Amino acid sequence: MGTKSSSAYAALMECIRSHAPAEHGVANLPLSISQTRAEALLHVVHDVGGQPDGPIDKSLHKPAHWEKSTHCTAECLAWRGHWVSEERRRRENDLGETLYFGTPYYARWLLAAAKMLLDKGLITPDELFAKMEQVRAREEIAA
Amino acid sequence: MSTTHGHPAGQTPGHDHDHAPIEERGEAVEFAILEAAIRELSIEKGLFSAEDHRRFMEWYDKVGPTGGARLVARAWVDPAFKQRLLADGVAACKEIGIDWMQPTGVGTPSDFTYLIVCENTPKVHNVIVCTLCSCYPRPLLGMSPAWYERPTYRRRVVRWPRQVLAEFGTIIPPDVEVRVHDSNQKTRYIVLPMRPSGTEGWSEEKLATIVTRDTMIGVALPSAEWTTDSTPGHA
Amino acid sequence: MSRFKIGDRVTVRDIPSIFHTRTQGYTRGRTGVVVALRPEWVIPEDEAWGRYEGRREPFYIVRFRQQDLWPDYGGAPLDTLETEFSERWLDPSS
Repeated sequence: MGTKSSSAYAALMECIRSHAPAEHGVANLPLSISQTRAEALLHVVHDVGGQPDGPIDKSLHKPAHWEKSTHCTAECLAWRGHWVSEERRRRENDLGETLYFGTPYYARWLLAAAKMLLDKGLITPDELFAKMEQVRAREEIAA
Repeated sequence: MSTTHGHPAGQTPGHDHDHAPIEERGEAVEFAILEAAIRELSIEKGLFSAEDHRRFMEWYDKVGPTGGARLVARAWVDPAFKQRLLADGVAACKEIGIDWMQPTGVGTPSDFTYLIVCENTPKVHNVIVCTLCSCYPRPLLGMSPAWYERPTYRRRVVRWPRQVLAEFGTIIPPDVEVRVHDSNQKTRYIVLPMRPSGTEGWSEEKLATIVTRDTMIGVALPSAEWTTDSTPGHA
Repeated sequence: MSRFKIGDRVTVRDIPSIFHTRTQGYTRGRTGVVVALRPEWVIPEDEAWGRYEGRREPFYIVRFRQQDLWPDYGGAPLDTLETEFSERWLDPSS
């Protein structure tokens, strides 16, 4: 995000190319796909029970301030009637597999909350982008 | 055509060509910026108040596994309390000062107010997961550990529970039923572990020190030698 | 009025679900036993899509034998799994 030099943009493209889905051969707007693959793609993202996986990483994590605050913002939005937790979980699935699994846990909550506010017209894209610029400028000054 | 990508004219990308290693800059700031933006906009627009958010932040700091540990220790020393706990978990929590209605007066939006306590016995060992998200009894145990939220535990424990328990150092004999609870709807669950030997005559307060968070999820068993202070990896 | 009672054998329906579900794929078509009843709650199919005061249904806890969920289950034969369903997801099973 933000203004980038062409070399920084090239590096960004390289990073995008490297993350899931890695096989651009199949994830490249195929002209047709098998029924099996269609069912796999349409399987609900969060429904992971029974999928093989490796050893459990038992690392613990001290939440950053934004993670804790995201939890509370999402809950306050529900407390005051703007959504419910099941709608939040559905909107986390709506983010798609790459964002669902590729970002920290509370980034999912946050992205779902931001899109909900935009979808329902509770904030406008102009307001959101202006506020993000304002926060970014403020934080850069503080840094 | 720019040569930024390093492909000489006429060469097809992706064939016989080395990719420069991806240079990744430091820890992401994007989420912190987006978080501040939507919180501030929500408050400016009156979707919720700054006071609402402050109250939730205070609740977040207040809840933690010591609440569950006190509940288990009380159930170990007071059989009548244990019966009330198994019959109505939320009501029994209130007896020891844990109010599932906090911080809003009607509970949290995500944790609901229906608690089932799964009692371990010599015949049944219970373990809890939420494969679809990470439902967790936060009013009683605080925020879930990262491994509980991450997909690996969610993927594996419903199908290979004994392997997963073994990775946590917990071996359940084959003549004991392992019962997995996949918390997929509004009910929240906690495991009531068996009181270990070697704790005869202990006070309720001392018993609470051996009830770790992991024993109440069901991936570990309490031991007279293993307290909340000495459990490896315990936050 | 609840359609099922404790002890009833039930089979989980495989209703098409795209985008979101609370009924795990691994339970679909599987048969288990009702072991507990829950209150009537708004079904997740309504809550997820913004109908907060949506349809209410009884919910049930169903216990499955792990061997009935996973043909290659490698644990002990007596191992089980419990999870919840709203009434629409369950068919009676003999």
